[in-house]
Amino acid sequence: MVSEERIEEILMGIRDAVVSYDEEACVQLCKVALKRGIDAYEAVIRGLAAGMDIVGELYAKKEYFVPELLLCSDALYAGLDILRPHLKMEEAEIKGRLIIGVVEGDIHDIGKNLVKTMFEAAGWEVYDLGKDVKLDRFVQEQQRINAQVVGLSALMTTSMLAMPRVIEMLRAEDPNVKIMVGGAPLTRDIAIQYGADGYAPDAVAAVQEAIKLLEAPQ
Amino acid sequence: MRPPNKDKSEIMQLRQDRMSSKERMEALFESRQPDRVPIGAMATVFSSKNAGYSVSTAYGDPEKSFYAMLWTAEQYGWEPIPQYFGHTVLGALDFGGRVRLPMGEYEGAMVVESYPVKTENDVSDLKMPDPKTAGRIPDVMKFSKLQAAHDLPVWFFSRSPFCVAANICGLNQFLRWMVKKPELCERLMKMAIDHIFNVLRYWVETFGAERVFVYMSSPSESNQVISPKQFEEFALPYHIEYHNRLRTLGIKRFGFHICGDHNLNLPYLAEVSPWPHPSILSFGHEVDLEVAAEFFPDDIIYGNIEPAVIQTGSPQQVYELSKIAIEKGKRAPGGFILGPGCGLPAASPPVNVFAMTKAVDDFGWYE
Repeated sequence: MVSEERIEEILMGIRDAVVSYDEEACVQLCKVALKRGIDAYEAVIRGLAAGMDIVGELYAKKEYFVPELLLCSDALYAGLDILRPHLKMEEAEIKGRLIIGVVEGDIHDIGKNLVKTMFEAAGWEVYDLGKDVKLDRFVQEQQRINAQVVGLSALMTTSMLAMPRVIEMLRAEDPNVKIMVGGAPLTRDIAIQYGADGYAPDAVAAVQEAIKLLEAPQ
Repeated sequence: MRPPNKDKSEIMQLRQDRMSSKERMEALFESRQPDRVPIGAMATVFSSKNAGYSVSTAYGDPEKSFYAMLWTAEQYGWEPIPQYFGHTVLGALDFGGRVRLPMGEYEGAMVVESYPVKTENDVSDLKMPDPKTAGRIPDVMKFSKLQAAHDLPVWFFSRSPFCVAANICGLNQFLRWMVKKPELCERLMKMAIDHIFNVLRYWVETFGAERVFVYMSSPSESNQVISPKQFEEFALPYHIEYHNRLRTLGIKRFGFHICGDHNLNLPYLAEVSPWPHPSILSFGHEVDLEVAAEFFPDDIIYGNIEPAVIQTGSPQQVYELSKIAIEKGKRAPGGFILGPGCGLPAASPPVNVFAMTKAVDDFGWYE
């Protein structure tokens, strides 16, 4: 029987490995956690996700920038690869479903990938459609998945013009879906003008914005 | 949409310029007051669309693109600052990746389909491109010859060595290597700066150093991507090296589009400011023009109307933002140019673009 202290030590080790973007240590500690009988879900929440929470804080304080976020995200996914096969579905409390993609005409996906990581770390089921996503595909995937939130990303002023179009198409099929937009040229004013429900200036703020949207009265 | 003036009887024609565009530019660089605030725009795609061409023409047909820019500049009263046929040097394409022209409704820039460097081993196998035939260089040379034939500055447009290097392996990979394998970034930046100057030497041989106006941009170095510390460690040494080499070539005219949010990098740039003074320093809307002028009192401050507002806002909004920018910019000791804070969006409504010109006419004259 592994002691509480040892469990705590392993979980904090996973958390710290994510924060210090030590992918190898993260993988090893996730394996140790399973070997010692620590519940995979607990290792995800108190280890990996707790680590990404700290990463988000460091980003907000301008101590971490995109290079660090990318590497922390690599460590998170390396750990998830170990733990995911051992997650029991009933344990994996899904906070929400998100469809995300970079709109047609745009291949810049660093921001979108970071948003995806933050949502996954926060317990959301994320359907990543990738980059340069044809507008029809957002609608088709929403019909199939019925996500609570659809996230649209664009870095270019040319590609952001696809956003009002896809928002209109999504609304025509599903008036209740919450739609968020983000990317360098976007602002909250433009998000409103385009008919989106939410906007986030960065990956860390995006999860909070989505939670707010779901909690808002219909 | 409100009318431009409260009372229609107040609507007046634009005032007559007292300087030619060339004289206005010369005045700026000789630290003399021009007749009015000059206006510029990075408007490659906007100009082509303005002339009825497709977005692929903007980057694919040097002649059509050039004349589209001339007509558009005259239509809106712009100086040719800068006037470029896309990047002269393009890391991904020149070093052997696959890059295609933009197409369709939503693309507005060259599209990288495959980077020449995908793995660590690819870095050591990388070969220097031919400075006369690689990528878009022959087409850009045709464009430059048209500029020379029309007695315009010959613009040489490249991103910074950091950005060109990141474009060789993809920014995703480059940012990871900055932390885990910095030696690979160093090698790519060294090759990037060597390539930039091999091509620039070709321009100087063809046109002479006096005619060449070098313009640089640095979006991937912004604080939306990297920290000021990383900027200091990776990007800044190559800015210094860049200007050492420019001096050796005898190039005196330089412009720098400090793209995006560089607020935390500005103290580092200001401390070394390795370019000749005055140079044109163009800022995004993320940097306050008064802050820019304080950091760089010996240079010509250029900017910084938010492009997304020009595209999605009203002419009144653009006019108001331009008025504020002009009021701040006119106090800049090194001079000021009004323009968008980044590339002018291709789908900007013509009245919004005109609102910048109108604001200069209403508030931009030096009496």
